[in-house]
Amino acid sequence: MTDTKEDLDELREAVRDFLAAKSPQSAVRAAMETERHHDPAVWEQMARQLRLPGLAIPDEYGGDGFGLTELGVVLEEMGAALLCSPFFATVVLAAQSLLASGDEAACARYLPGIAAGQTIATLAAAEGNASWDPAMVTTRAHHVTGGGGWVLTGKKNFVIDGAIADLVLVVARSTAGPALFAVDRGAPGLRAEPMTTLDPTRAMAVLTLEQVPAALVGAEGQGGRLMSRVLDLACAALAAEQAGGARRCLEMSAAYARTRYQFGRPIGSFQAVKHKCADMLVRVELAEAAAREAGRLADEGAADFPAAAAAAHICCSQGYLFAATENIQVHGGTGFTWEHPAHLYFRRAKSAELMFGGPAVYHERLLDRLGI
Amino acid sequence: MPDDMQDFTRAVRDFLDAHAPRAAEPGQFRWGEGDDRVAYFSADPPEAEERKLDAARGWQRIRYENGFGWISGPPEYGGRGLTPLHELLYDAIESEYEVPDTGTLSVIGLGMIGPTILAHGQPASKDRYLPAMYRGDVIACQLFSEPAAGSDLASLQTRAVPGDGGWVLDGQKVWTSVAQHSQIGMALCRTDPDAPKHQGITAFLVDMGAPGVEVRPLRQMTGGADFNEVFLTGVRVPDDHRLGEVGDGWRVALTTLMNERATVGGEGSGPAAGVLSPERLSALMRATWTWDDRALRRDLSGLLADVMATGCLNARAARRMQAGVAPGPEMSVAKLMYAQNLTRAAHFVSHLLGPRIIADTGEWGTYAWAELLLATPALRILGGTEEIMKNILAERVLGLPKEPGIDTRSPFRDLPRSPSPGGRA
Repeated sequence: MTDTKEDLDELREAVRDFLAAKSPQSAVRAAMETERHHDPAVWEQMARQLRLPGLAIPDEYGGDGFGLTELGVVLEEMGAALLCSPFFATVVLAAQSLLASGDEAACARYLPGIAAGQTIATLAAAEGNASWDPAMVTTRAHHVTGGGGWVLTGKKNFVIDGAIADLVLVVARSTAGPALFAVDRGAPGLRAEPMTTLDPTRAMAVLTLEQVPAALVGAEGQGGRLMSRVLDLACAALAAEQAGGARRCLEMSAAYARTRYQFGRPIGSFQAVKHKCADMLVRVELAEAAAREAGRLADEGAADFPAAAAAAHICCSQGYLFAATENIQVHGGTGFTWEHPAHLYFRRAKSAELMFGGPAVYHERLLDRLGI
Repeated sequence: MPDDMQDFTRAVRDFLDAHAPRAAEPGQFRWGEGDDRVAYFSADPPEAEERKLDAARGWQRIRYENGFGWISGPPEYGGRGLTPLHELLYDAIESEYEVPDTGTLSVIGLGMIGPTILAHGQPASKDRYLPAMYRGDVIACQLFSEPAAGSDLASLQTRAVPGDGGWVLDGQKVWTSVAQHSQIGMALCRTDPDAPKHQGITAFLVDMGAPGVEVRPLRQMTGGADFNEVFLTGVRVPDDHRLGEVGDGWRVALTTLMNERATVGGEGSGPAAGVLSPERLSALMRATWTWDDRALRRDLSGLLADVMATGCLNARAARRMQAGVAPGPEMSVAKLMYAQNLTRAAHFVSHLLGPRIIADTGEWGTYAWAELLLATPALRILGGTEEIMKNILAERVLGLPKEPGIDTRSPFRDLPRSPSPGGRA
């Protein structure tokens, strides 16, 4: 385990260098225009050279056995670079769902492929009403008589990288309640339609399932507890990505405020601009501290991890959106152009804020996780 | 953690185990039970304040006699000869024990003025005051701010002129904490009005019992008087009580203020500790039948998320210090956020209480919040206004340029200043 700051710095530097070379702004813009919304060559190099997809997957499933602290470092850097990649869907949503299910056979079947970068995977939870609450799931799972298998029928929305995933983990309802099911790409009856997204750096799809053969992951009826755990982990991981993006917005603003002259002075010498940047710094420091603490508590298996994850999700959602919004203002007209990257961060920040439901649900989740 | 830190930790625990009980875990908050006071400023009656002061002096003496009175100080003045990091580590460990609050002695005197005397004092003052201060016998206050010199401290006007083989001081200081308990004060005075403002200042140690020193309580907007005005009228100060060279007082003051930055920010156990806990705030919501109000629930959650994140910043700073790394900007950010969180909490609670915070019904735990509500504006001013803090963060952390045109070259006497206070309300 990397438990020293030096090791984490080394990891951060390796990822940062990799992304600087493979995902500069020109590459982000190229990737977001393609059908797959990512560069398969970069995905392959990320797995082969840096072993990133397996970073937080246990050794017995072909990973390197690190935790959310290390994964958080990687996600911060990916968020800062706006990397277009199925990493979040595969490594966070899908891999963590499999691990949370406690289903060793399913883990042994799917996780080594994910760790090796050979399997792109995702989690399909939300439906037409956009809720991640498994109690709201209407997709049905029917036992196939005689076979021991299942078939799923329903429609899933907002499925991240759903159009390219080799493996889709679907939350569906059987007579015992919600549960998790695995669906392979190319399964008969599965149709994926890309959605037009506010954030072009993150692809989403609508999946239509008609009598699609599926395998149960974990136990019947355990979907409620499982999704609660997965959402805590996903919120903490997303928080790291948000904190990284927010930090990059602050750096862009500070650099611009130091070098852009108006009225014969750098604009950063005007208190109106200076204080805007200081306000961004405050929100970025808070977001980063909250995200890293959530990762640390997850790795310690601490009882207050769910509350810390919920708080980090709120702080990082607000902090990133604030930094991305103010970044455009600091840049003035330039920041409003298509060519400037500020809007890509704004789009990512807004999309991340609302991905799991936004303020309409994240406040109630924090109160729930605090147990008050 | 480095080895010597581990040895030190063990020594601290041995000392504390021998002299103080462990602090009780904060019990489950129960509505209607215990003290319902929610105050940032002490507002104790005078007898209680005296009792607390005696306890503080007594505990400081025990610390001193056991080698923990001045951990970063040099042995010749009663110090232990370790680093400021050891000091912070000691504070963190001591907070786990039930000991008297020594803030009256330590925040200004031991935290800020002691290190300044050590760095800039003449041998006579060091011998006379340093051991006495760290033993708990001498309390020191800071005679810096003036009615016309707040954020712009370097524009201070209190005069010191040579006379009687020493100096004669005339002027007025304001917002002086603990002056009523102090034996000495560190005064910044203008000795050369013809020099640019930062260059004509000299620092002195003033005997607070000397003729011409008058301490008047300053009543603040909460109604209590937790600060003072100090009037200096023809006060004589011997030259061996001068700190640093004549005209070098600004540099001396920076030593003091740099030590302030290290003491402000770790407010976790501050006077309003516990106010921001989820248990306390949710209990108040239930007691006021507002628990089901969705808008107020959102307010609560947003507030708690920031409070928890601020706690993460403090924890991060503490971990860095324990690992022997100087903290980054998180202390300044935590200070800004602490003020904002407490202010937001006071207003949030007022929305729960409604009319019960504008007139006292006598009900437990309701009108008591008025004290905190009225104290919150101070949090965004004391220890550096929010505006000055943001300038510092932007300039030192983000490297943004300073405001041009701030006159640091003209003689002080030629600088424009506010109209004289004669006409104010």
